[in-house]
Amino acid sequence: MVDIMDTIEPGAESAVDRPLPPRLEVTPGVASYDTPAQFDALPSKLSVHDLDFFYGKEQALFANDLEIKEHRVTAIIGPSGCGKSTHLRCYNRIYELYRDQKAMGEIAFDGANILAPGTDLLSLRRRIGMIFQKPSPFPMTVFDNIAYGLRMHFKLSKSELSERVEDALKRGALWEEVKNKLNEPGLALSGGQQQRLCIARAIAAEPELILMDEPCSAIDPVGTAKIEELLQELKSSYTIVLVTHNMQQAARVSDYTAFFFEGRIIEFGATTQIFEKPVQRQTEEYITGRFG
Amino acid sequence: MTATTTDLSRCPMAPRSVRRRRLVNTVITTSSWIAAAIGIFVMGWIVVTVVVRGIGAWNVAFFTQLPPTGNDPGGGLANAIVGTLVITFGAAVVGLPLGFFGAIYLSEFGRAGRVATGIRAVTNIVLGVPSIVAGMFAYALLVLPSHHYSGFSASVALAFIMLPVMTRTAEDVLNLVPNELRESALAMGAPRWRATLGVVVKAARAGLITGAILAVVRVAGETAPLLFTALSSPYWLSGFFGPSGYFGGPTANLTKDIYDFSQQPYPHLIQLAWGGSLLIIVAVLGVNVVTRLLFQRGKEW
Ligand SMILES: Nc1ncnc2c1ncn2[C@@H]1O[C@H](COP(=O)(O)OP(=O)(O)OP(=O)(O)O)[C@@H](O)[C@H]1O
Ligand SMILES: [Mg+2]
Repeated sequence: MVDIMDTIEPGAESAVDRPLPPRLEVTPGVASYDTPAQFDALPSKLSVHDLDFFYGKEQALFANDLEIKEHRVTAIIGPSGCGKSTHLRCYNRIYELYRDQKAMGEIAFDGANILAPGTDLLSLRRRIGMIFQKPSPFPMTVFDNIAYGLRMHFKLSKSELSERVEDALKRGALWEEVKNKLNEPGLALSGGQQQRLCIARAIAAEPELILMDEPCSAIDPVGTAKIEELLQELKSSYTIVLVTHNMQQAARVSDYTAFFFEGRIIEFGATTQIFEKPVQRQTEEYITGRFG
Repeated sequence: MTATTTDLSRCPMAPRSVRRRRLVNTVITTSSWIAAAIGIFVMGWIVVTVVVRGIGAWNVAFFTQLPPTGNDPGGGLANAIVGTLVITFGAAVVGLPLGFFGAIYLSEFGRAGRVATGIRAVTNIVLGVPSIVAGMFAYALLVLPSHHYSGFSASVALAFIMLPVMTRTAEDVLNLVPNELRESALAMGAPRWRATLGVVVKAARAGLITGAILAVVRVAGETAPLLFTALSSPYWLSGFFGPSGYFGGPTANLTKDIYDFSQQPYPHLIQLAWGGSLLIIVAVLGVNVVTRLLFQRGKEW
């Protein structure tokens, strides 16, 4: 019980008093292909160093190293069970919900190691949003779903709140479809709409990094297309990490791709390079569909 | 064909007899129909008997007056109705929150830990304890030291029965909430208590309400635990302390009155006992129906 209670932060109450960060500027026309020199020059939003992960005694990740570049979409691909979700779940330490799971190594988020003890998990998780495979709207209205993070982290007047909710729904490409349904339960929306609701809910809290674990796997092709389009718009304001099983999706929306295999990062590079000229044999075999 | 696959043509499968399958189907369907019919028939019989015998007792006096003293007919069970409501309410006030928070501890915090496993084991044991033991427990805990029976001690006995029922159903309901919902709330930066109360409990609320109401209904008709605690009383419940108060003295209640009056040689008292039985049946049925309505409304938020 103790380890779970530890995740409740001492700063829980003060979270509300934090000033609202400015809305992130939209800078259109971000290059989708950076040269190696440009890659090195780009600031890393998050850098993973020597990350190991354990489910009890079972090791699931081995010495992962990865740079997540700011304002880029980084895709994580690899066969089922290779550790993609496990890796992603380290970034916001959500795995700590389960007492036998443990991460070791370093994950620097804006320079600070979030795996270090004493990290303020509540503010970390406000700054790092997460979208899950299965849409998970909260059991409340569309409006309250979006307002959930806003109410929790910021002090807002009623009008500011509804303004922010509208803005988040617009950025989540859902406003037109739900503007007359704000007081209906979030669960009454279609699967694809629910997923965009979850994206809008994450965006509303003004995160800097958005983690998505196969966000389209439970969504039909039309819904998927909408979410992919949304990703393109979002990456100018946010840094995105996308786990996907869909090779075409990774190729379409990401700037960088990491290929995972059996808990290790086999290859990491610009998406075009990974898909056109993979260096590692395993990467090539996976991409061309020979295994996985 | 590779060596690892079996050549299926060498072991032909005889088709299973269609006649046999049909026969089995008919036998099983028929026997379940018969079993269901017997169950429904017996329950219907009980309800019809209670309605037929009890409805005659229902008049204004039944709901407003004290039981008759001596041999004169008339009178009612008003004090017992009030007593049963108060005792049950008192039990709910103690038992439901304890069960609710116990269930939250078990499903959200304790989980597979040693403390939680221990609590679960104790809960299961208490669930199986005959209700008269709950009465003895309250008797030893409250009646003996204070030297008097009381409605409160009856509430404690009923709460003792209610607690494991509520804990178990609430934990089951909370366990049905998918982990993704907990993770989603925590991933939004919610502190653990907020994710639990604001999202997990909210998602489970229809089931929690149903569980709570059914736990209350479960004890409302108990007789045995009241024998050593509330006992019975020919008087109105009045106030909290003093010989007729909730904490101070024996308290009238429906089940004990039904039990006592049904043993009397006087037809008018037996009639009152039937009336009381009918009231309990109607109340339990009514609460069940209302719960079901609530449950459905709960689904629409
Ligand atoms: N809760 C758990 N307990 C124990 N082992 C787990 C648990 N979750 C995952 N694993 C193991 O860790 C490894 C990595 O799992 P993970 O879920 O990260 O894979 P993944 O790449 O996301 O797969 P998928 O593409 O199917 O989602 C697998 O071998 C899996 O069996
Ligand atoms: Mg996964």
